[in-house]
Amino acid sequence: MAEAIHTGEIRPPPTVQGTWFAWLRDNLFSSWVNTLLTFGALYIIYFAVSGVWAWGITNAVWEAENRRVCFDINPDGACWAGVLAWFDNFIWGRYPRGEMWRINLGALLIVVWMVPIWLPGVKDKIYVGFSTVFLYPFLGFFLFAGGEKGLFLQVMLSLAIVVLIGNTLNGYHGVRSGRSLPEVVIAGLGMKASSDKVQRKTLLAIFAAAFALVFWAQMGWVLVSVEWNLWGGLFLTLVISGIGIAFALPGGIVLAMGRRSQLPVIRILCTGFIEVFRSVPLITILFMATTMFPLFLPEGFTLNKLVQVIVAVCLFNACYMAEVVRAGLQAIPRGQYEAAMAMGLGYWKMMGLIIMPQALKFMIPNIVGNFIGLLKDTTLVSIIGLFDVLNMLKAVSQDVPWRGLHKEPLVVGAALFFVICFAMSKYSRHLEETLGGGTQR
Amino acid sequence: MVETTTETTEAETPGQLASAASSDVIILLNHVNKWFGEFHVLRDINLSITRGERIVVCGPSGSGKSTLIRCINRLEEHQEGDIIVDGMELGSDLKNLDQIRSEVGMVFQSFNLFPHLTVLENLTLAPIWVRKVPKIEANEAAMAYLERVKIPEQADKYPGQLSGGQQQRVAIARSLCMNPKIMLFDEPTSALDPEMIKEVLEVMVELAATGMTMIVVTHEMGFAKTVADRVIFMDFGEIIEVNEPHQFFNNPQSDRTKLFLSQILHN
Repeated sequence: MAEAIHTGEIRPPPTVQGTWFAWLRDNLFSSWVNTLLTFGALYIIYFAVSGVWAWGITNAVWEAENRRVCFDINPDGACWAGVLAWFDNFIWGRYPRGEMWRINLGALLIVVWMVPIWLPGVKDKIYVGFSTVFLYPFLGFFLFAGGEKGLFLQVMLSLAIVVLIGNTLNGYHGVRSGRSLPEVVIAGLGMKASSDKVQRKTLLAIFAAAFALVFWAQMGWVLVSVEWNLWGGLFLTLVISGIGIAFALPGGIVLAMGRRSQLPVIRILCTGFIEVFRSVPLITILFMATTMFPLFLPEGFTLNKLVQVIVAVCLFNACYMAEVVRAGLQAIPRGQYEAAMAMGLGYWKMMGLIIMPQALKFMIPNIVGNFIGLLKDTTLVSIIGLFDVLNMLKAVSQDVPWRGLHKEPLVVGAALFFVICFAMSKYSRHLEETLGGGTQR
Repeated sequence: MVETTTETTEAETPGQLASAASSDVIILLNHVNKWFGEFHVLRDINLSITRGERIVVCGPSGSGKSTLIRCINRLEEHQEGDIIVDGMELGSDLKNLDQIRSEVGMVFQSFNLFPHLTVLENLTLAPIWVRKVPKIEANEAAMAYLERVKIPEQADKYPGQLSGGQQQRVAIARSLCMNPKIMLFDEPTSALDPEMIKEVLEVMVELAATGMTMIVVTHEMGFAKTVADRVIFMDFGEIIEVNEPHQFFNNPQSDRTKLFLSQILHN
């Protein structure tokens, strides 16, 4: 006789029982050995933290004219007064104090420019990224360096400003109504029914008018020139690593694709380039850049040290990024390449539409790890005489009133780098979750 | 018409090639040989396929059947012989190649859908980027094909959220969106559960009824019996036997064919 088939009812899973007390009991105090270890660890933690707390907070001196005064008030505490006195130098370097607003404005503008990437409803986010990388440098250069503007710079500056305004409006409309700026403008002019061609021409005309207006306006803007050797501190670190990061990924993609190319000359050049730069420490490359670059350049054409350093950092990181990209490309199953080829997409469309979008998602942990490394590696430029943040931190102890102040600035430096790198690391995890789509493991 | 041996009765001289082209031959393979390194994987293949013909290629694994159809859209390159697809010769000319490939659709054993795009985006990608079709038109055409393969409600899902049978039907719809002249199928049901094989075969039968030129590598002999105009048996890189299905299954000529049929039809 056949048994009746029992269909159990569908129920939700049982809820996890227990309070934090139960968790403590199970994880920290479950056996005698564990209890002893827990108490041992707690004692060590208390010991370490109380020492640091006493030095950094309880006994610390926050106001003093010089180190001797600090010492007199409390010899066992940190002398934060010195750090506070030098704080401006840490962040803005030796930039003229009256012109510091330019750096702050530059920082604000890049944030405003990039914010639409994270706002919901905004269309065409990829153009935000592209425009930031290709146009912001001109705006930033004008703000930070000032001085005479050649025609090229004026044109690019006007373009950058128009794009920034357009981008901000696009973001605003995207958040408010989910429409892109062109859509809003066309609707506002009542031209929705017009053909695509007429719409495009109208938008171009408006763009050209805005450009002309901004160009005319900026001709009157004069900013005092600030020599590059006054750039320093966190500002300089972020400039070097920002440019390095912006260049490394596209440069790395180009090099990686060149390395996989079927054309032998390109393949050999790219492979050689990558292998040379990866076999040599960054510090050696920096030294070589500052001493040997002038030999390669034509007569009378000099590059200042900052540009040499930036070029070296960019090339170095592009090579590391190339290997990360190559690994990502190899991780894509052959079937994806075949399906794309079988549809007649051709090499560039296949890479741009199918392969790269998938590969980049896999490469995120490696790419952001590389960026974090790049940020920290920029401290090496202090060895060739640029006053990045690390050099500034060390320079405090050479200042007459604060001679001998070593620990406090380095603690501040460590905290600064931790905050930035941890934020990047956290963002990387967030990117993996949002872009990973269905590929999370 | 019955062909029972490997001796070629196909066109061999340039004059005959030209006349073959005009008599509606859409694919012509002429003394095609291919090696993977030292291994001679395709041995003197001669085949001519007319427009609207449905061909099933079968044979034991390693016989070169997948390699044969992959040579037709140049996913594999042949070393000797000519392959002429829709009047265009397959060579190292790249511009020609993308054009040929957009006329030849291919369905893979492992589906090869693009996981980062929705089903609808998978279908409209090639029409938009290769044929420059405007987005709205491409979307409408894609939805029509999705209805034809009976899964229009899945348009906004990602491939990873679909079952195997649904993914393969999307893959077929994706190839059809380019309105190809020829459809190649490389073991389309071999990676599917038995319940899903039927739904995919139904789509392929319906497609055959519309007059599409199809070359199908498969082990589904039921499909061959119902739909094929000719069945080709390959072994060790050679075409052993070519015949219309009724003759092929009931009256195999070669011993190797008989052996293969006894193995495959036993289950």
